Amino acid sequence: MVRSNLGQDSFRFDSTGLGLVTRAIERERGDFGTRIELKRTRRVAAQHLLIRPRAAVKRSAASLVVIVSSMKLALLLFLVLVSNFLPSSLAAPSSSGDGYTITGRVKVEGMTSKGFGVSSKLLNAKIILNGGQSVTFVRADGYFTFHNVPAGTHLIEVAALGYFFSPVRVDISARFPGKIQAALTENRKALHELILEPLREEQYYEIREPFSIMSFLKSPMGLMMGFMLLVIFVMPKLVENMDPEEIRRAQEEMRTNFLPRSS
Amino acid sequence: MGSSNLRPRTAMAIWARLGFVILLLFFSATLSTALYEDQVGLADWHHKYIGKVKHAVFHTQKTGRKRVVVSTEENVVASLDLRTGFIFWRNVLGKNDHIDQVDIALGKYVVTLSSGGSILRAWNLPDGQMIWESTLPVSTPSKSSLYVLANMNVGKDNLILVFGGSSIHALSSMDGQIVWRKELSIDSLEIQQIFQPHDSDIINAVGFVGSSEFAVYQISYRTGEVMQQSKASFESGFCGEASLVFDNLVVALDASKSSLVSISFKNEVINFHQINLSDLVPDFSGKVTLLPLKFNGMLAIEIASSVLLLRVKGPNELEFVEKISHPFAVSDALPLSKEQQAFAILQHDESKIHFKVKSDNDLRNEILQETIQMDSQRGNIEKVFINNYIRTDRTHGFRFLVVMEDHSLLLIQQGEIVWSREDGLASIVDSTTSELPVEKEGVSVAEVEHNLFEWLKGHLLKLKGTLMLASPDEVAAIQAIRLKSSEKNKMTRDHNGFRKLIIVLTRAGKVLALHTGDGRVVWSVLLPALRRSETCGNPFALRVYQWQVPHHHAMHENPSVLVVGRCGHGFDAPGIFSIVDSYTGKVQNSLILEHSVSHIMPLPLTDSTEQRLHLIIDAKLQAHLYPKNSDSLKHFFNEMPNIYWYSVEIEKNKIRGYSLESKAEPDTAEEYVFQAKELWSIVFPSESEKIAVTATRKKNEIVHTQAKVVADQDVMYKYISKNILFVATVAPKAAGEIGSATPEDALLYAYLIDTVSGRILHRVCHQGAQGPVHAVVSENWVVYHYFNLRAHRYEMSVIEIYDQSRADNKDVWKLVLGKHNLTAPVSLYSRPDVMVKSQSYFFTHSVKSMAVTATAKGITSKQLLIGTIGDQVLALDKRFLDPRRSVNPTQSEKEEGIIPLSDSLPIVPQSYITHSLQVEGLRSMVTIPAKLESTTLIFSYGVDLFFTRIAPSRTYDSLTEDFSYALLLITIVALVAAIFVTWALSEKKELKEKWR
Repeated sequence: MVRSNLGQDSFRFDSTGLGLVTRAIERERGDFGTRIELKRTRRVAAQHLLIRPRAAVKRSAASLVVIVSSMKLALLLFLVLVSNFLPSSLAAPSSSGDGYTITGRVKVEGMTSKGFGVSSKLLNAKIILNGGQSVTFVRADGYFTFHNVPAGTHLIEVAALGYFFSPVRVDISARFPGKIQAALTENRKALHELILEPLREEQYYEIREPFSIMSFLKSPMGLMMGFMLLVIFVMPKLVENMDPEEIRRAQEEMRTNFLPRSS
Repeated sequence: MGSSNLRPRTAMAIWARLGFVILLLFFSATLSTALYEDQVGLADWHHKYIGKVKHAVFHTQKTGRKRVVVSTEENVVASLDLRTGFIFWRNVLGKNDHIDQVDIALGKYVVTLSSGGSILRAWNLPDGQMIWESTLPVSTPSKSSLYVLANMNVGKDNLILVFGGSSIHALSSMDGQIVWRKELSIDSLEIQQIFQPHDSDIINAVGFVGSSEFAVYQISYRTGEVMQQSKASFESGFCGEASLVFDNLVVALDASKSSLVSISFKNEVINFHQINLSDLVPDFSGKVTLLPLKFNGMLAIEIASSVLLLRVKGPNELEFVEKISHPFAVSDALPLSKEQQAFAILQHDESKIHFKVKSDNDLRNEILQETIQMDSQRGNIEKVFINNYIRTDRTHGFRFLVVMEDHSLLLIQQGEIVWSREDGLASIVDSTTSELPVEKEGVSVAEVEHNLFEWLKGHLLKLKGTLMLASPDEVAAIQAIRLKSSEKNKMTRDHNGFRKLIIVLTRAGKVLALHTGDGRVVWSVLLPALRRSETCGNPFALRVYQWQVPHHHAMHENPSVLVVGRCGHGFDAPGIFSIVDSYTGKVQNSLILEHSVSHIMPLPLTDSTEQRLHLIIDAKLQAHLYPKNSDSLKHFFNEMPNIYWYSVEIEKNKIRGYSLESKAEPDTAEEYVFQAKELWSIVFPSESEKIAVTATRKKNEIVHTQAKVVADQDVMYKYISKNILFVATVAPKAAGEIGSATPEDALLYAYLIDTVSGRILHRVCHQGAQGPVHAVVSENWVVYHYFNLRAHRYEMSVIEIYDQSRADNKDVWKLVLGKHNLTAPVSLYSRPDVMVKSQSYFFTHSVKSMAVTATAKGITSKQLLIGTIGDQVLALDKRFLDPRRSVNPTQSEKEEGIIPLSDSLPIVPQSYITHSLQVEGLRSMVTIPAKLESTTLIFSYGVDLFFTRIAPSRTYDSLTEDFSYALLLITIVALVAAIFVTWALSEKKELKEKWR
């Protein structure tokens, strides 16, 4: 019963979103507290595990959080999150029946500052779990959710035309259902919140460079002309500078080289 | 370079060197073959499809855009323009996310139920943006249905009911929240129907418990509380089919499926009445099927080959209305007004379709009766959806959305086809190509260029475009000129080999020829052999091959293709054979084989009429030779000792190699049947390995050179064999999807196997790697894509094999003096002396499909085509996957073109050949070499089709389309002018000097 009470606590909506997270961690601790009482044999292990969430609170209050609760609670919590349009995003894997729930958000620069509009380019962004195991779409506010994800290490990819997103590695711990980690696989950057931002915009077309003398000179025709001009104007100078003796020798050389072949 | 001149360098030599450097500058341009934005549509085309429609909901109430929302068998939910059939928007769901039902809620959201009733999503009707998504806990997979309640004036929110098995979920249509959830019974209850009596707060649910009990529940709309429930059992049992006729009457089939039972219920009292069908149908016998017809007071039953429409007058009173014979389609009921309902019956009669609309006021007569002519290549009607509109004279007009046997979708209104969509193309099974006919004499090409002035004007415009001087209007004009140039859409063969016919086989059994110029359908034929018939109940299209390709001297003959299918899904089902003319689509020959088809081998042999020889291997491991004539047999006997084949048995974890032997007496029917002789087998230990994927070289691939000149002028010989098989096996523990295994459990073995001798040439193990594996084999290399669990990234590996036994044959002197080993005996049993090089790189994306470019002579360097999870096709130069890459390549290696090693493969957005398009539901990419060596044609298909042509090493053998002839002219003119000017100047100078 401790569980559900604390769970109810965390529903009180906090405008910052951070409050919710910390409270959820506390609740978790409470949850483990009860477990320690029940299972004395596992006490040591549990205490070990306890350290982690505390550290997480210290490090960053808005770190990733797992909420363990009954199925109904998880669903309700999720719905509360959705219906309130939480300003800050969080991944809230919560165990429900046969798996966890991963909630994240896709954020693209240039979205309206209020955070609800999604640029038209993101309209059809697909979120793909584990290379196609399940596919979901981005909602109008940029959020997405995967339900019934088993514990393990998963891969989330974002397919949005015009943007390059790094796949995200998401670890849901089986032993300790209070721990989730996320990191971009491209640059191994750890994510504290499951907010996916494109690494870069993709330009699918070569950009035509505006007309300039340089681009003309670089074109085959320009190079041809330049080369010819060089030959016309610089060659005589070079020949002039050469030793007349050497020229004579070179001419002789050429004669001996080419004459036998032509005959 | 070769001259050993020790003379001091002259100025000439320096110039030569400089010129060489400049030349090099030209050719060492970027690796990618990128596209400018204004070149889109020039060489490529993209067609969007949706697939075979399963459900359709019209949205025509409001003024403005009239649309129809459909869900399809390709897991697409789409909104189509009702006037034109164009797609407003569409969303392609995941491959296992089959759509169960679609509906519109609140007049602004499209609601889809998918994944066996476990996912409910709402999409914004105008633009297809997902609004909300809800996951419903479904314990057992059962048939689930969706029921959107009519407005109950409870605020503005409507409830959406999802029922399946014994549970009902009610969700808010505003945000997808579960308002209530009810598990009705712990028994095996199957809810059949949910309905809402008019103007009440109560929902009725009816269903069967087990096989003999019928249950009725009354549930509160607001809370989900069960107000009333009643059950009754019927001694002869039910078969599970039922049809709701009135709010208090259900007609069901009994367990023997031979008689009807009407079930009336009122205030917890349930009464059963058995109805004898022989009263209605005098000569009735056999089984009955109940057709789903959501129509008040009506019932449709199928007996033998016809359908009876019955009117229910009371619990035990049925009236016969009409008998319809096959083929036909009946629509659901459409409410015209509060009291009146209408439904449509469509009946096929040869090439005509008769449309009848009846209303429940007067069942004897029709409101509307129309007949239209239908293209026989569309087959029979499969489904019909109707919608009405009010005509100017206030009568009802009707629209019919018709789904045909070939999966095409048509809208019919006032006896005319308003639009049609060839949506069978969303489910292509296989494809091949055919050359177009040669241009006949007398057909002039000169018409295209009208006059010199027009031509010059066009080129000037193009020049402006390339120099970025064109105004937007002019850019549009350039685009129009380019698209209009009908050159690419001609129906004749072209010099470069860009114009071809792509012949595709769809799942519906239709063969279509697409023109590579713009993707239009040149002809289409619904193969009679692949249609459902008495002899073949469940036909199934398999492959399409080139059957006859006439030689240059037999041009009067048309080429033809062979379509192979199967009767039913089992491996031992008899095969289907059809030969279709490639130019006209006429079926030349069609037969049902006596044997099954498990493997088809096109042989590199033709008979004297240039029909390609095919070996069909059946489930009993017998090989059947086609075409069956003595000539082909003669050719075949010559080659028979050289024919080897293999089979991969994934379930048994086994690969077996065979040769052929003939046992039959000559001049018998058995003459064309050969027995397989097992030569070798490789059995993978099933406790540690499981076959994930196999790949071989394309049969028609051409390799230009066997030798590879590496840095410092050394030569390596490629190990080129047509019989290399790549096999990847994974650990059974990690055979599932990503996220189901730990790195410790996962192992991936890659094998290279010679399929003639069964020898394993190479084997490599990747620790901590798992599938899905995608592989492509070409020349002497294999590239495969898999998932690395340790780094948690995708990886691509390359394996290249070189022949070491010939490594010593480099010295010319040895060859001259005969000290080479070229004449050394080659034996099957000798171990081939191969050297293997491999390297691995990270790759960002998941991959759906991989292919490699192929060119006419194999000279052009290769590019890998990677179909990414985002449904784009990326062209990646093979040079990035070269095992000789190192962190610091030496100077000579750099000159050879070796790229410094990096840990991951670069993804340059410009090298997406699909540029800013997506080939939704991408399944496969096909490369077709053009006649022009530098260029290859690429046809990729999935739900969409995309075609383009690429030049992996740029078009070095022809001028590009945007080559500016005007610039060339100007340059020449300028040069000539310069010559004259300098000539005049030098004359002057000379004159001056003479005067001095």
